[in-house]
Amino acid sequence: MRLDLQKILESKRVLRRDLASPPVAEKLRMLDALRERELAIRRGAGSSDSNKLREEPARYQSKP
Amino acid sequence: MAIKEVIQTINQLQADGVIDRYAIGGAVGATFYLEPVATLDVDIFVAFKSEPGSLIVSPQPVFDYLKARGGTMEGEYIIIAGWPVKFLAAGTPLVKEALKESLSKDVDGTPARVFTAEHLAAIALQTGRAKDKARLLQFVEAGALDAPRFRDVLARHGLLDA
Repeated sequence: MRLDLQKILESKRVLRRDLASPPVAEKLRMLDALRERELAIRRGAGSSDSNKLREEPARYQSKP
Repeated sequence: MAIKEVIQTINQLQADGVIDRYAIGGAVGATFYLEPVATLDVDIFVAFKSEPGSLIVSPQPVFDYLKARGGTMEGEYIIIAGWPVKFLAAGTPLVKEALKESLSKDVDGTPARVFTAEHLAAIALQTGRAKDKARLLQFVEAGALDAPRFRDVLARHGLLDA
C-alpha cells in the first residue's frame, strides 16, 4: 500500500465540502443527531469522570 | 430534540419584547457556513434589556420567560427543546459589533439571526482555545471568509497579530 498524502488530503477536503453544502436546516438536523450520538457515547463511558481533563468553557473576552 | 425549536423559541422571546436582539454564535453558528461539528450546547448572544428604572441589564427576564414556558435551568444553561442554551451578553466591542452586523438566515421557513462568518472566525481567534483555533482553520480552509472584510474586523479589534 502506498501512502499518498495529497490524495488523502484532497479526499478529506471533498468530504468536508460535501458535508458543508446541504441546506442549513439539514445541517442543523445533523447537529441534533451528532449531539444524540455524543450523549449516548458519554452515557456508555460512565459518569465517574471527575478526574478527566475537561475543556475550559469559552469566555468570549479580550485576551489580557 | 431540535435546534430549529430552539430558534423558534428565541424568535418568540424577541417578538415578545424580552430581548432586543440576538444572534447565534459558537459551533451552531459556524454550522451555517461550514460542515456540522458535534456540539453539546447552543450559544445565543443577546442584547439584554435593562429593567424599568434601572441601568443594570439582567438575563433574569429571559430565564423567567422561558421557565414559564417549560424551560428548566441546569447551571448556567436553560434547557430548550432538549438543548442546553447559554445566553451570553454581548460584552466586548467585537461581540457587540458581531451582534449589530448579524445576518438573518432562513431555516426551513424560520428566520434565524447568525453572526457573519468573519465575526465568528474573529471571535474564535479572540477566544483562543484549541477548538476555537480549529474552527478558525475550518473557516479559512473552506474559503468561507471574505478576506478583506475579515482583515477589517481583525484590524478594528486589534487582532491582526493574534
